[in-house]
Amino acid sequence: MNANANGVSSEACGGCVLVRLRGEVDLSWSPQVRRAVLDALAQADAVGVDLSEVGYIDSSGIAALVEGLQQARTHGQRFVLVAVSDAVRAVLELARLDRVFTLVASPDEVTAPA
Amino acid sequence: MTRARARPGALRAPNADTAAHAPPCAQPADTLAFLAGLSQALAVSLDLRQTLEQAVTRVAGFMRVEAASLFLLDRASGVLECRISVGPVDVDGLRLAVGQGVVGRAVAENAVQIVADAATDARVWRAADEDSGFVTRSLVCAPLATAAGPIGALELVNRRDDRPFSDADAELLGIIAAPVALAINNARMAAELLEQQRLKREFELARHMQKALLPKRRRDDFPVLGVNRPAHEISGDFYDFFECADGRIGFVVGDVSGKGLDAALLMVRAASLLRWAGKDALAPGAWLARVNDELCETAQGGRFVCALVGYCDHEARVVRFAGAGFPPVVVHRGDVLTEYPAGGPPLGILPDLAFEQHTVALDGGALYAFTDGATDVRDVHGRRLGGAGVRALIARHAALPPQARLRALLGELKDLQLVDDTTLLIVEAARACAPDLLLERHFAADAAELRGVRQALRQALDALGIEPRLRDRLVLAVDEACANVIRHGYGPGCRGDIGLRLLRDGAQLSFELSDHAPCVEAARLRPQPLGECRCGGLGLALIDEVMDDWSIEPAAGGRGNLLLLRKRIESLDEEEAGEA
Repeated sequence: MNANANGVSSEACGGCVLVRLRGEVDLSWSPQVRRAVLDALAQADAVGVDLSEVGYIDSSGIAALVEGLQQARTHGQRFVLVAVSDAVRAVLELARLDRVFTLVASPDEVTAPA
Repeated sequence: MTRARARPGALRAPNADTAAHAPPCAQPADTLAFLAGLSQALAVSLDLRQTLEQAVTRVAGFMRVEAASLFLLDRASGVLECRISVGPVDVDGLRLAVGQGVVGRAVAENAVQIVADAATDARVWRAADEDSGFVTRSLVCAPLATAAGPIGALELVNRRDDRPFSDADAELLGIIAAPVALAINNARMAAELLEQQRLKREFELARHMQKALLPKRRRDDFPVLGVNRPAHEISGDFYDFFECADGRIGFVVGDVSGKGLDAALLMVRAASLLRWAGKDALAPGAWLARVNDELCETAQGGRFVCALVGYCDHEARVVRFAGAGFPPVVVHRGDVLTEYPAGGPPLGILPDLAFEQHTVALDGGALYAFTDGATDVRDVHGRRLGGAGVRALIARHAALPPQARLRALLGELKDLQLVDDTTLLIVEAARACAPDLLLERHFAADAAELRGVRQALRQALDALGIEPRLRDRLVLAVDEACANVIRHGYGPGCRGDIGLRLLRDGAQLSFELSDHAPCVEAARLRPQPLGECRCGGLGLALIDEVMDDWSIEPAAGGRGNLLLLRKRIESLDEEEAGEA
């Protein structure tokens, strides 16, 4: 696969699901990102979205994450962003959403701390 | 020469306390402890002079000698001077040539000297004893050796037990001298480093000062602009322009011979004189003659100033100029490049000179003046660019607007090897300001196209030198605008194109998006407040946040929209005098 190609994959890990995104999240595939996030929330009570390999995200990508967060809140689930790249963090800050999401450094922190 | 002086009441019989002392360096353990203590004291020293004084006193005590002294070499004069002396005779300030006496020889040969019997040894320089009445019986002297050669010597006189110095004494003194030399050398290097840092700061200040002397770029339709690029910290080049009382515009380009601080100072003086004389609205030849006479009264050391001065009217229809030792001026009119060799000799050499002047109708063309730094640049083979090379560069970039052209010319010169300060000045009528078109792209209104659009936009913004954080925000805002056109303008199932243009006018960037979608009512476009956790309207809010302002209007012809995003980038404003 092309090194900077877009991609989404999900893996279950001990009671949680980690959704890994790669590439540039924009209007061309943010609907798939949204689907993957909502599917993950249907499977587990803790969902992490790994953004370490994301070099760009637009408002439609942010919207997919916001929808995931709202869904999780409604159902009392945990929803975190994992290893947020600088590019994504800059957009979250610009949108004043960096404090709305729970940001964690590693996939180990997806399940709630004891 | 400083004479040796007996310290009051200090002279005494040489053998006075011999009996009380064991021979020097009796115990290796004592020696080690002494060396360790001495090294430690020297290593932590803040006040080297005081520490050395204590060190020499300790050495004299440990070695049980009557007198000890430390000499340092002044590299420039090659003279050794006694800086510290302990014992009955004060020889501070005593000066010896390298090679003179036992001390001079230790330094000259970079080897320890032992004199068992001073009375018969030819190496001993006896004048000191004759002055003071002190009797030197035996001597040992070690050079203070460093990697760069000896920097002085440490000398001991007369063992208190009245025996001559031995080879063991000499060896020990050699060992003691090592940390002393190291400490002095370190202190000197630290002082030199401080001095270098101080000079660097001074040069930095001088550079800022010089830069401040260059005129600010004029934003209006001013017909003169310039750029200066020093080859080193400070420049011998300068340019200036100003408006005279009668509405004419005066301009100056100058180049002071030589480099370095003296050239920079003369540059400041020459720049002031040229501006002062130019404001009197003298004819260019008389202008140069007046400054030449002034400089001749004060210029020194073979320094001189090459300069070009002139006037133009506000529309740059006619230019009058005169040169002094300045490279030929190039006028580009139509497709023709004409050279005008600039008149007289440089300023500041001979008074009472006349300077030939030229009057040239520009007819919409441009006049280029450049210091010899421009023609002296070297290509990869070390060849000078020369006048022909500069003319070729001018022809190549003629289509660009003046400021962009100046940047492009300087950029080309910088790609070659700048060996001298370089200054360029253009006189040209301001054009009806067409903004620079930096990017134009047409693409299908399809989200799959956005990645390529962002890439092209990033490159165009990088070429402007916009810092990455701001660049990424601008790219995001334009991407959001494109996404809105695709999603809401055309909508699902509706095909069409989007045109994107990036324009720059000075520090003002404009992003134009045109489409053929149904006309949008601007009033219906409402961003959501940022920070709110909702899914819609975020794109518009981001555009609002990043751009200074935006507007949307129906395209000419009834169908389609023109969306205009604007952002002023202050860093684009700073670069003109800027390159200086």
